Amino acid sequence: MKRAVSMTVNGRPVEAPVEPRTHLADFLREELGLTGTNLGCEHGVCGACTVEIDGAPSRSCITFAIACDGASVRSIEGFDDDPVMADLRAAFTAEHALQCGYCTPGMLVTARDIVMRLPDADEARIRKELSGNLCRCTGYVGIVRAVRRVLAARRTGHGSALN
Amino acid sequence: MTEAHSGKGVGASLARKEDRRFLRGQGEYVANIRLPGMLDVAFVRSPMAHAAIRSIAKPAGHEASVFIAADLTGVKAIRAVSGLKGFKASDQPVLASGKVRQVGELVAMCVAPTRAEAEDIADLVELDLRELPAVVDMVAARTGPPALVHDEWGDNVFLESLVDDDLSDVKRDAAVTVRRTIRTARQHMSPMEGRGVVCEWNRRLDQLVMYSAAQMPHINRAGLSDCLGIDQGAIRVIAPDVGGGFGYKGILLPEEVCLAWLCRKLARPVRWIEDRREQLSANANCREHHYEIAVYADAKGRLLGIDCEASVDSGAYSSYPFSACLEAAQVGSILPGPYKMERYRCRTWSVATNKAPILPYRGVARTGVCFALELMMDAVARELKLEPHELRLVNLVQPGEMPYLNITNKHFDSGDYPEAVRRAARMIDVAAVRARQRRGEPDGRRVGLGFAIYCEQAAHGTSVYHGWGIPMVPGHEQCTARLSPDGILELRIGAHSHGQGMETTLAQVAHSVLGVDPDNVRLVHGDTGLTPYSTGTWGSRCMVMSGGAVATACEQIAGRVKAIASKLLEVAAADLVLELGEVRVAGTDRKMTLAEIAHVWYRKPQLLPADVDPAGLEATAGYKAKVDTGTFSYACHATTVAVDIETGHVEILDYAIVEDGGTLVNPMIVDGQVFGGTAQGVGTALYEEMPFDEQGQPLATTLADYLLPGSGEVPAIRIEHMETPSPYTFFGQKGIGEGGAIAPPAAIANAVNDALAPLGVEITETPLTPRRIVEAILKARK
Repeated sequence: MKRAVSMTVNGRPVEAPVEPRTHLADFLREELGLTGTNLGCEHGVCGACTVEIDGAPSRSCITFAIACDGASVRSIEGFDDDPVMADLRAAFTAEHALQCGYCTPGMLVTARDIVMRLPDADEARIRKELSGNLCRCTGYVGIVRAVRRVLAARRTGHGSALN
Repeated sequence: MTEAHSGKGVGASLARKEDRRFLRGQGEYVANIRLPGMLDVAFVRSPMAHAAIRSIAKPAGHEASVFIAADLTGVKAIRAVSGLKGFKASDQPVLASGKVRQVGELVAMCVAPTRAEAEDIADLVELDLRELPAVVDMVAARTGPPALVHDEWGDNVFLESLVDDDLSDVKRDAAVTVRRTIRTARQHMSPMEGRGVVCEWNRRLDQLVMYSAAQMPHINRAGLSDCLGIDQGAIRVIAPDVGGGFGYKGILLPEEVCLAWLCRKLARPVRWIEDRREQLSANANCREHHYEIAVYADAKGRLLGIDCEASVDSGAYSSYPFSACLEAAQVGSILPGPYKMERYRCRTWSVATNKAPILPYRGVARTGVCFALELMMDAVARELKLEPHELRLVNLVQPGEMPYLNITNKHFDSGDYPEAVRRAARMIDVAAVRARQRRGEPDGRRVGLGFAIYCEQAAHGTSVYHGWGIPMVPGHEQCTARLSPDGILELRIGAHSHGQGMETTLAQVAHSVLGVDPDNVRLVHGDTGLTPYSTGTWGSRCMVMSGGAVATACEQIAGRVKAIASKLLEVAAADLVLELGEVRVAGTDRKMTLAEIAHVWYRKPQLLPADVDPAGLEATAGYKAKVDTGTFSYACHATTVAVDIETGHVEILDYAIVEDGGTLVNPMIVDGQVFGGTAQGVGTALYEEMPFDEQGQPLATTLADYLLPGSGEVPAIRIEHMETPSPYTFFGQKGIGEGGAIAPPAAIANAVNDALAPLGVEITETPLTPRRIVEAILKARK
């Protein structure tokens, strides 16, 4: 039995009927066509499906869409005007922080959260914070370096120079 | 400035072209593809490892949405034979027929408008199964089988192979004899993206169009043709962006055959996307080896001989195209590693069990072989009280002996193996670690040092593969290069990229040969409808084979470009130089760009002389290495670990790699491959294991149970490169994609054993989990 849900997705209001069992990732992907959010495990371990819900990184695979009524959701498609994400994207390329690209959208959402929340994070802290996002290609070397690079640039006030 | 100095050609760490779409969430993975009217498929899978099928009941009201083996008229079983003598073939029905032979085997196919509804229907299908004893342990499967996986065989052995030799004299002369039993756990390759298939029947072309997360689309096409009984022209396989492969997607899937049949039957597009639970339950399919091994050495540590009996758990069926016996037979041929020895004997068995059919995972048999051999080397070193790296230096093939034909006739192409060990020993600072061990740790942990070295045959071709007699033998790799009317270069290759960055590296190759800017190169790959035939992406072959094909095709285009320019500029072709996308008359300012030449050929042919070469600006060229027995990249890994003897926890304190992949096309990407492979090797060493119970039930069916290394588990890895070009490849490049995953289990286990040696503990099994370590310590105390 479908029920109506309304939320803001990437800054735009969305209203749609959903099955109560539909998780947010399926809602974004199947109903809204936002396929940038990839599904890796659908049991909340791998972090590939990480999106922002009300400003905090969340697993969209273990969040029911119906539970997001009234929430503001931001997926990888919603960061095109964000300067921090622009810096992270440039740093991810410069540091070869992605190979197959499948974990990348979720990894970027988590990475942005680290940059915003922990401006003084060192390598050990970055590794701890990234531990909920699995990558099978890179060995995390480039990802950690990219986050460090953005943090260092922001500390010296040269964030946008990464672009 | 020339291509050599542009910072964009072979040797440059050029940023990747493909990153742009991935960073914006615009990768086109198979699950992102939507076709109008598409239906979703969920499979009913066997809940038992081994059972006779009494009946399968379709739920009332859903008969038209459920399909079982008997419905698939005209569909043949998957059959991957080997030409090796004595191989027993298995027929793998795409939907189970008669009996089920592994947990997760496909039993029925359910279709509905959404996956959730298809799963609802699948839940209603009733299976009546009569459980049979499960064949779980590969050694028991051979020596005292509880049942037969394939009743008609009479035993559970796909293939027995023997590399024979007489070891009686080395047994007599050896100062040291070391014997061990060594085991490696069954693993799941776990790319972040699972498998998936979307397909439809195109009525206009009378053709199946299948999107599949595949490494080898042309091979899938050939296999689909066999199973469906339709010609290959009626099949187009497209691999879109693929979210990691590692071998997991180098296979013809029963799901592909089922969906191909279904879309035609229903005249609707259909989709199946593997979820992680079904993946882990059904497809833990690699790396499970068992060795009984003896090594004989003289008093100085020189290897006299190896005697080994090895079993590989090949699972229930022979997968297409690599077959059930590739891995075990490879164990026999590569166990001697990079070392010299006088005698070598190895008997191997490819054993059938009630588990997922084996697939070759990154490094294939080498990870297990390196684990077995390098643990033995350390055991010999301990017997003789030698430093492990010094024992290796005594036995490695020397650079002056290259190219070297080893004891199993592997043709090592080039390199300085001892130098890799010496450099790794310097990087890890052996003396400093030994001093630290003498001092002891304030927290009571035990520190240990471990080395492992391997050499890896990659990009091996016809002369190697024809001997296996499997459905796939690589020949010439081809590329079609086309200079389009605006001067953009299109490259079409039949291999595929699933993270390796070939859109970038092959553009670098084209730049080095033709001068075209990498930004002006478009790679078309992964589509049988648009690309030349290729066996695809496996065996670390693409940079050598596709790279060679691209370079050769670009050379042909360069010749054609110069021939046209010589007419237009009215000079001899020999007086022209091609540099940075321009053809220039040597020593003058007179020049034409590639785009100007292409414009004339396509748009103003009236300017061309009558005798112009009609072949134009499109060329298909084939490439094979001068010697096609493969490149041999190699690396020495060295690591320092700390072991908590109370909890069994292992921390990697330092990890150093000296790697030689020949000429590096893109060093940044090479480092990425080595880092990523090493992270997978850390998983093999310490975390990843698919255990089974006595009934053959897999016990790690979520990522909370099957542990992949995260950012906290993978250490900061240091790499130094040597660059010894291969004498046989276009630029001297060697295959390096798999290497990182080979040595870590051996290096880490050697380090743990070094740490625990004073306690009399030696562990010879992967993964080295806290429980295994603590149990070994407790056992040694008794």
